[in-house]
Amino acid sequence: MNNYKVQLILHYLDKAFEGPVIPMKEWDTKIIPKTVKGILKKYNLQGTLDMENPINQDPELADRFFQAGWELALELGLYCEDTERVIKVTEEELLECMRNYQSCNILGEGQDQVVMYPRKPESPIVPLVAASLGIVCSEKNYLPLVQGIVKYNKLVDVLHGPTLATVFGHAIRSGTPYETLMGNYESELKKEALWRVGRPGMACTGVAGAVTEYGHLGGAPAVAGRGNVTMSLLPVELKCTFSNFHRILQGLNYGHKLRVGGFSYIGGYAGPPEGAALCNVANDLLISTIMQADYVSSYVYDIQLFGNCGRKAVWANSIATQAVSRNTGFMRNKIVNETGGPCTEMFMYEAAVGCMNHCVSGGSKTTQPRSAGGRYTDYITPMEAWWCGDVFKSCAGMTLKDANEVAKKILPKYEKKLGFPDKGLPVTECFDLDNQVPLENYRELYTRVRNELIDIGLPLNKVYGEWYADRMAVRKNYSIIG
Amino acid sequence: MEDILKKIGDLVAEGEEDEAVEAVREALKQGIEPLKVLTDGAGKGMDAVSEQYNAGEAFLPELVLAGDAMTAIMKIVFESMDEKTAAETKEGVVVIGQAKGDVHDIGKNICSALLAVNGFEVHDLGIDVPVKKFIEEAESVNADFILMSTLLTTSLPYLSDTLQYIKDTGHRDQYYFCVGGGPVTPEFAEKIGANGWSRTAFDCVDMCKQLVKGHKAEDGQFVMVDSEA
Repeated sequence: MNNYKVQLILHYLDKAFEGPVIPMKEWDTKIIPKTVKGILKKYNLQGTLDMENPINQDPELADRFFQAGWELALELGLYCEDTERVIKVTEEELLECMRNYQSCNILGEGQDQVVMYPRKPESPIVPLVAASLGIVCSEKNYLPLVQGIVKYNKLVDVLHGPTLATVFGHAIRSGTPYETLMGNYESELKKEALWRVGRPGMACTGVAGAVTEYGHLGGAPAVAGRGNVTMSLLPVELKCTFSNFHRILQGLNYGHKLRVGGFSYIGGYAGPPEGAALCNVANDLLISTIMQADYVSSYVYDIQLFGNCGRKAVWANSIATQAVSRNTGFMRNKIVNETGGPCTEMFMYEAAVGCMNHCVSGGSKTTQPRSAGGRYTDYITPMEAWWCGDVFKSCAGMTLKDANEVAKKILPKYEKKLGFPDKGLPVTECFDLDNQVPLENYRELYTRVRNELIDIGLPLNKVYGEWYADRMAVRKNYSIIG
Repeated sequence: MEDILKKIGDLVAEGEEDEAVEAVREALKQGIEPLKVLTDGAGKGMDAVSEQYNAGEAFLPELVLAGDAMTAIMKIVFESMDEKTAAETKEGVVVIGQAKGDVHDIGKNICSALLAVNGFEVHDLGIDVPVKKFIEEAESVNADFILMSTLLTTSLPYLSDTLQYIKDTGHRDQYYFCVGGGPVTPEFAEKIGANGWSRTAFDCVDMCKQLVKGHKAEDGQFVMVDSEA
């Protein structure tokens, strides 16, 4: 167990019992909006959303968002729902967290080990890809689907995995023994899949189906240690629960790295895109400090579009990611919430813009895909994970300017459909799970869209070609501390 | 009269509950018809905040505060009406909550606020709500609707568990049971025997308005509202 981290976590957990008492409704409807609004005004950030340039081009603006986010973190702190108290942090605590933060995260073991580095905007360091997000799939499809997802070691580095629809044929109810059993079952299935594809040392980032601490309790022992990860997701920006603390302490018990998530919602308590971006910056700072996260899983989500591939969310994610990347060495896992389903142009366009944005803005890792918004059972295939890996890794070293130009060309291809996305096809209608290859319909679509986006300027054709040598040369002289 | 009605509408839109209540008391004191206070005063405010939210100019906190103001106003206005008129004017009483195991409440909170803003009496049970709690609350407030939401597939079974509990305890015809949330599809809703499904928070308001006209919940009665279809 990491005693240093445990001591710090206990220090902040104590604060959850000692901090100022604030009724939750007051926090949600008065304190958050009023403080966010005030700080946006103070730093002259209101109205900075740039719909014409969805990927931010102004480093000074990103730095101002960071300064404002720093002040927001100090002013507000993290709200604990269970005690209705605020876990406040001091400036010295934030600075200490930044000083003591590790220079990399080593995930997995042996030949399957990978290293995550902090990345600045436009970094040539190739980021990591975890797949998939917790999209529900039938029990019978789980094993071959995971095998397919992790098939290519150049596209997917880390396994998160889909979510099981049932456990031994029984519906899984969160917070019940079904979930505890599912945790172990999912971990064992993932280990089996990794063995079958010859990647037994690949890191697993928690139990995908665990929505409470029970699933983690069930699943963690099966994947203890060896660079594996425990995931703990905060319910909403700047709020946590005891369940988050249960998970991170339990993760440390099993020698895991800690991936702690915190999302901000456009249209939610933080208000406009600028407010959501600001809260996202504060989230990164507070989660790293209070939850002692080895890396933060954070992003901005647009409530009205049920995803984050519209212009507002792309911009908000861009500015928030750049703000933290430029000013800290924190590593972040960034998520794109696509709404289009498998075997659709829409999914590929959304993922291309989102993954490119997170890569050039300084994300160290992504977890993908969220095909069809994660709404439908078995609407996931390995192809979406491969596509996201292809894009996310290829864009390392791309400039913000080039990425913005590419985004401006791709966005009009799908943004009008964001309110009513293409559902796509279930796995059995576009992918051959027995032979681990796409069916002809998906192969044709994938190749066509890939070529189309290469023509637009997405550097997919250069990933393992001439750019790779250039990147290696640049990397030798590249400071990860910056 | 126009001035005070406008003032009430503005105060509702701004979420100023105490001042809005004060203005309503003043309007009633002046002899303005309670129904007029509701429709031409507070109603204008709720329309304004709904439009602002839809246009991305107002956000969840504004909706919640406007909903609170509306709830407080309705209480006073209904008290000033005779029982028959009050019953005819009320949109309906709603018990709403996030399914057991689920702490993601943003979508549910938007529904809750929009329903309040649109004249429903809303009793929000919050997150991670046990099955039995829905029925207990519905009985206690004499609800017309039980609305459940979840973002988690592992909380989906609780939706059917709740409906089954309503049936098993002999209350099926007392409440419209409606569901929504990320992984909740209309097919799922119909399969478990819910009375309604809606995609967005605005759709949820339309769905409840359509159902309340039916007066009595029945097995097999199903309303789907999907503004994106």
